[in-house]
Amino acid sequence: MASIVMKNIEKKYSKKDSTIAVENVSLSINEGEFIVLLGPSGCGKTTILRMLAGLEELTSGEIWFGDQLMNHEPPEARSVGMVFQSYALYPHMTVFDNLAFGLKARGMSKPLIKQSVHEMVELLGLSSVINHRPKELSGGQRQRVALGRALVRDPAVFLMDEPLSNLDANLREQMRLELARIHKRVKVTTVYVTHDQNEALTLADRVVVMEGGRVRQVGTPEEIYGSPANTFIAGFVGSPGMNLWTLEWKLVGDSILMGEGAIELPRSFLPVLESAGSKVTVGIRPEYLGLSLVHADVKVKCKVELLENLGSHSQLHAHLINETPVSLIARLEPNTYVDPDEEIVLTTSTGAVHLFDAVTGERIDLLGEDYIENENRFTLS
Amino acid sequence: MISPKANTIIETPDRTADKSYSVPKQQRQRPRRLHYFKNQLVAYGLMFPSMAVFVMFFYIPAFYLLYISFFHWGILSSATNFVGLANFRTLLQQPLFFHSLVTSVYYTLVMIPATVLLSLGVALLLREAVTGRKRGSGIWRGAVFLPHVTPIVATSIIWVWIFNPQFGLANFVLTHLGLPALGWLESATWALPAVMIDSLWHSLGLYVIIFLGGLSMVPRELIEVARLDGAKKYQIFRRIIWPLISPTTFFVVVLSTINSWQAFSQIFAMTGGPHGGAGGPAFSTTTDAVLVFQTAFVYYHFSLAAAMSLVLFCIIMVLTLIQKWISDRVVFYR
Ligand SMILES: Nc1ncnc2c1ncn2[C@@H]1O[C@H](COP(=O)(O)OP(=O)(O)OP(=O)(O)O)[C@@H](O)[C@H]1O
Ligand SMILES: [Mg+2]
Repeated sequence: MASIVMKNIEKKYSKKDSTIAVENVSLSINEGEFIVLLGPSGCGKTTILRMLAGLEELTSGEIWFGDQLMNHEPPEARSVGMVFQSYALYPHMTVFDNLAFGLKARGMSKPLIKQSVHEMVELLGLSSVINHRPKELSGGQRQRVALGRALVRDPAVFLMDEPLSNLDANLREQMRLELARIHKRVKVTTVYVTHDQNEALTLADRVVVMEGGRVRQVGTPEEIYGSPANTFIAGFVGSPGMNLWTLEWKLVGDSILMGEGAIELPRSFLPVLESAGSKVTVGIRPEYLGLSLVHADVKVKCKVELLENLGSHSQLHAHLINETPVSLIARLEPNTYVDPDEEIVLTTSTGAVHLFDAVTGERIDLLGEDYIENENRFTLS
Repeated sequence: MISPKANTIIETPDRTADKSYSVPKQQRQRPRRLHYFKNQLVAYGLMFPSMAVFVMFFYIPAFYLLYISFFHWGILSSATNFVGLANFRTLLQQPLFFHSLVTSVYYTLVMIPATVLLSLGVALLLREAVTGRKRGSGIWRGAVFLPHVTPIVATSIIWVWIFNPQFGLANFVLTHLGLPALGWLESATWALPAVMIDSLWHSLGLYVIIFLGGLSMVPRELIEVARLDGAKKYQIFRRIIWPLISPTTFFVVVLSTINSWQAFSQIFAMTGGPHGGAGGPAFSTTTDAVLVFQTAFVYYHFSLAAAMSLVLFCIIMVLTLIQKWISDRVVFYR
């Protein structure tokens, strides 16, 4: 096991091409930590993983495992276990040989190999298929063989590149739990790449949100979900993402009206808004909008377009009144009934309101942490 | 105005929909069968030219060969008479025939491993150059392939000069390396190896291309995983690449077996065939193919040559079957 430190790492794939796959990423990962790199396609997640594994040279920067500089160590000297998206199992070898290959290559004695492989196979529930070749395995089994092969060598660093993306939805959920369970058992420093935020939020100790080769936010799942650093993360994390509206505000009597009265905020927001300028981006997560009148400090008036019944909840598609192009999604109680074209008022508490700079999209922190009702905000997810 | 094409597009779904409801099954089949025959006709029509060439210049001569091997067959066909297995009997009494078989076996047994080792080695180097983004790898690939597209008879004549014992390049290199000069094509021991070198050089490009194709089927990720698993270069080759390209290797082995058994042009050109010789010195380069040629076109004993070819055909077939049997046990197909 080892901690990982990345110092200003950068990757350009070609000297002529000016596009930068990874740009000035610095990150330190604690021993035994489970880090998830989250971001849309092409943002450089795989590139970072490959640089950690030594499969790709750094253009600049440093990578440290513990107190060892790894920049020029070849992959075989790094003690890294990696699970590829395609699994990359050795097709001509049985499950046993797939797992044993790395141990043999490192010159472990035969009885010891046998013991380690059998332990790992036991842990992963693969005993019944130990003599099968990869093509005789199901998707989930292949996935577990890939995990086992990477873990059986007791690597210092464990890397996974979208390991669940080839599985169907049910299996993915099941394997997600299994991964969490296995990590609890082996406690190896893990960097996990995904563009599925459910995986990120459920598995990670800390999530690293990336966009366009840069790190946009590093934080616990609660921080990422509860205080997204900018509108990109607010919209990207959560399913569906946060509603974001960029509107002008004005003070009318005791409340603040935005977008010609579509949104009504209490007067307590005034100081923040004044410092933010005449236009500001308001964000409210769909799951915090409701029809309740109890925590009704914030009101959102909208016109219903469609109500989808999704079993566990109903998803409301609407648009803000007087702001026809601006759409809204809300997650309502399962047995809600509203008519299309009906005008309704959705409510939420002040703690569920996020503010972002209208120009830069950066988060504007509300006055002091205790102002935000952090506690009950996370329980709902 | 609606174009006829547009019309059919509109009508087609209607018609089929109709049929599935009301038209009895047999009637429904008919147009489809007609369509099928039409398709077949077009397919055969397209195949005809190449099939015609194939039948004319391959199957007919092959069966004719079988036919004349049972006759005493003169080239003017006036003296043709049925002799049964007499040609085969004559063949078995010819020491030169067995000598040529031994020569061919020697040639083939050297050529197969040499071909595989050399072409796989070059292919690995070329691939390394490509994946390592080395510049100029395309030029090297072209350079390796170029000999294969030159006529072997022409290049063999150049090799005759290279192997010239007095002023050839081969001996020049040998003496500069402090090794003794060799007689090459004038020596019964070294004539065949000289031919082998020429053949290897000439066919290398083809086998390299085949191996490059095979290597490209090995996913890069497998190699990467193996490196992460801590495998050294030779372990990766031995345990990952070699088993995964075994179908390609098998193909190369079969191909080079057949090519070696049939090697003729280069031997003919290098050992003085154009001057009426070939196969020398002292029959040291008389492979079966050379012997067949000489029997037929120097001694004009066509039916004996035909019998000889048939025996060779059987030998090659048996060899291929043996190779197939081995491959089923060794080669890994996905
Ligand atoms: N071998 C390569 N050569 C050149 N450019 C590359 C190479 N690999 C990746 N890139 C580029 O680098 C950028 C980052 O790619 P990367 O594979 O790291 O993305 P990713 O975040 O893993 O995306 P995904 O979620 O689709 O897997 C992309 O713009 C991609 O086009
Ligand atoms: Mg990727």
